[in-house]
Amino acid sequence: MLPRVLLCGEIEYVQDELKKMFHGIAEIVHLVSESRSHFLSSFGPGGPYEGTVALYRRNACSEAIGKFDAPLIYALADTTMVRWIAQSGGGYDEIDVQACKEKGILVSNTPGANEDATATATLYLMLSCLRHFSMAERSLRSGTWKIPYNAAQTHDITGRTLGILGLGGIGQRFAHLAHAFPMRIIYFSRRKAESVPDWCEYVSSIEELCRQADILSLHVPLNQSTAGMIGEKEIRTLQRGSVLLNTSRGRIVDQEAMIRALEDGHLSSVGLDVYPDEPRVDPRLLTFPQCTLLPHIGGESAEAWRTRELQALGNLRAFVLGGVGEDIVPELKIAIGSSTTLY
Amino acid sequence: MSSRQPRILICGNLVWAHEEAKQLFNGLADIVVMDSPNRPDFLAGLKTGGKYDGIVGIYRHNTSADRIGVFDKEIIDALAETGTVKWIAHNGAGYDQIDVFRCAEKGINVSNTPGAVDDATATTALYLVISCLRNYAWAEQSLRQGTFKSVLNPGRAHDVTGRTLGILGLGGIGLRLAHLVHAFPMRVIYHSRNKSANAPEWCKYVDSVEELCRESDVLSLHVPLRDETVHLVGENEIRAMKKGSVIVNTARGKVIDEEAMIRALADGHLSSVGLDVYPNEPLVNPRLLEFPQNVLLPHMGTENQDSQRHMEVRALTNLRDFLRNGQGNDLVPELRSRL
Repeated sequence: MLPRVLLCGEIEYVQDELKKMFHGIAEIVHLVSESRSHFLSSFGPGGPYEGTVALYRRNACSEAIGKFDAPLIYALADTTMVRWIAQSGGGYDEIDVQACKEKGILVSNTPGANEDATATATLYLMLSCLRHFSMAERSLRSGTWKIPYNAAQTHDITGRTLGILGLGGIGQRFAHLAHAFPMRIIYFSRRKAESVPDWCEYVSSIEELCRQADILSLHVPLNQSTAGMIGEKEIRTLQRGSVLLNTSRGRIVDQEAMIRALEDGHLSSVGLDVYPDEPRVDPRLLTFPQCTLLPHIGGESAEAWRTRELQALGNLRAFVLGGVGEDIVPELKIAIGSSTTLY
Repeated sequence: MSSRQPRILICGNLVWAHEEAKQLFNGLADIVVMDSPNRPDFLAGLKTGGKYDGIVGIYRHNTSADRIGVFDKEIIDALAETGTVKWIAHNGAGYDQIDVFRCAEKGINVSNTPGAVDDATATTALYLVISCLRNYAWAEQSLRQGTFKSVLNPGRAHDVTGRTLGILGLGGIGLRLAHLVHAFPMRVIYHSRNKSANAPEWCKYVDSVEELCRESDVLSLHVPLRDETVHLVGENEIRAMKKGSVIVNTARGKVIDEEAMIRALADGHLSSVGLDVYPNEPLVNPRLLEFPQNVLLPHMGTENQDSQRHMEVRALTNLRDFLRNGQGNDLVPELRSRL
């Protein structure tokens, strides 16, 4: 009997490729559980997931079985043969990777697959915040043409300073797009990035980044050390009238501090694709007409989805074939003794 | 102030460049602000002894049309009648509100503000391109209506990278947009009346509007409004485009046949349109609002303080140069042949 891989979330764009990739290698099974208890009790003999060794995972499966928190990971490790979780997407904050590390389950993500899509979303938010485009469109659609739009509160993009926090793939891609205007680009990362173009200037602290940036854009993953990384102090270090963009994760920003700064005008606007408690959006954010608010679709395009699905399935296939897939998340690279980790 | 100084007329109030205006005309001319509530009052003011008597040049902004109408034959003839008005320094790239051919006949020169608007307008077009391809405006409507992303289908959203942008009219704005989207990169093709000497090698010329339409995923319009550009993009051109294409218009509303465009939206031939301009602004055809995937801006092309200040100064500088040297830099093409 072939090993089984379980799709926690459906494949939408590469179904033909899916069949070819696993033909003769593994049997594909689909998530049928509507509760966590059903999910965890279905790996035994005769259960629908019997013989499953690896999972493909999309965040959408949380609606049925919840996030992959420590209790779920422990149960998977102790009662099933699952040893690989192939997350579809760059962010894997819905998986407790520390629990995975303890229990020897490896996790891969799909870095790079949505870099272009997410950087484009960030560019869009920046254009909209500086020029009040989204506000103007709402004004037109509500029948008031360009009232209450006020040109005095809007600016050209060209020549402004963009501060990028976290110069990974998405941050670099965004820097490249913004450089076309050009903007002045500065960045801060845990370490100075290698092979960065010379127009992309490293500053030595978040504080310095905030002090110089007209627009601050966040491109760090969510983990214990980045939660609340942009709080009252960082926001107040920004110049009055600055713009904050977030296409990474909502919890990187202290939302209360951000809303206070919008209320007193310290931040002129924010462009957000992510929120601390999605799909809930704090209703106070909707009261600032100059803000641009997207419903976490930064990485969502037909092309990005296709790439992401192929990449996650490729990781899964490599695991089934050879025991180790590509794209193991950084926290777990240490776990397998890899020297490639950045930590 | 010397009463012998020439007078210039500010027709459509300055918003940003009051200080710059004082400096530019200090010792050169007296600044008179057009305060007529309607056209008859304006025309009366131009007559000998009227409040605008002795004006030699005019700064003009489209907002003046709200009170005295566009600079049509009647107004141009009245300006010519004064015998003193010789220059109209229009603030804006588009000067379709001025009858430049009548100006040519009557010996009045017209300047515009090319270049000053390129960056801001190209940025507006870039915004529309991104929003249409990725359904961002639609997404924000969904969020604000409380449905987060549940009404969206990511299969409808497309990456910008790798698609083909067709630019109709490779002047300053078109070229600037080409440059901005080349960062992704998009494949950029263009058609103009003449092949552009300024076009970079990655910007490919195609020799007809139809060919441009056939090859483009996104068609962006950057031609001025003239008799021969009215409905330049009509039924034939739209149907020459691939099914699911996008049209972006930051030029002038009448360059597109709006009825043909709406038919193509209704039957899905066009997946969406991104518009900053409309045939009868500020009126927007309500049928355009029925398509949530459309991105509809209220003629924001150049509206931001940096560009607007820049444009006011540019227009005023043309007028100053006319006073000082007899000619401003930005004479419009229709009048250049006279010199």
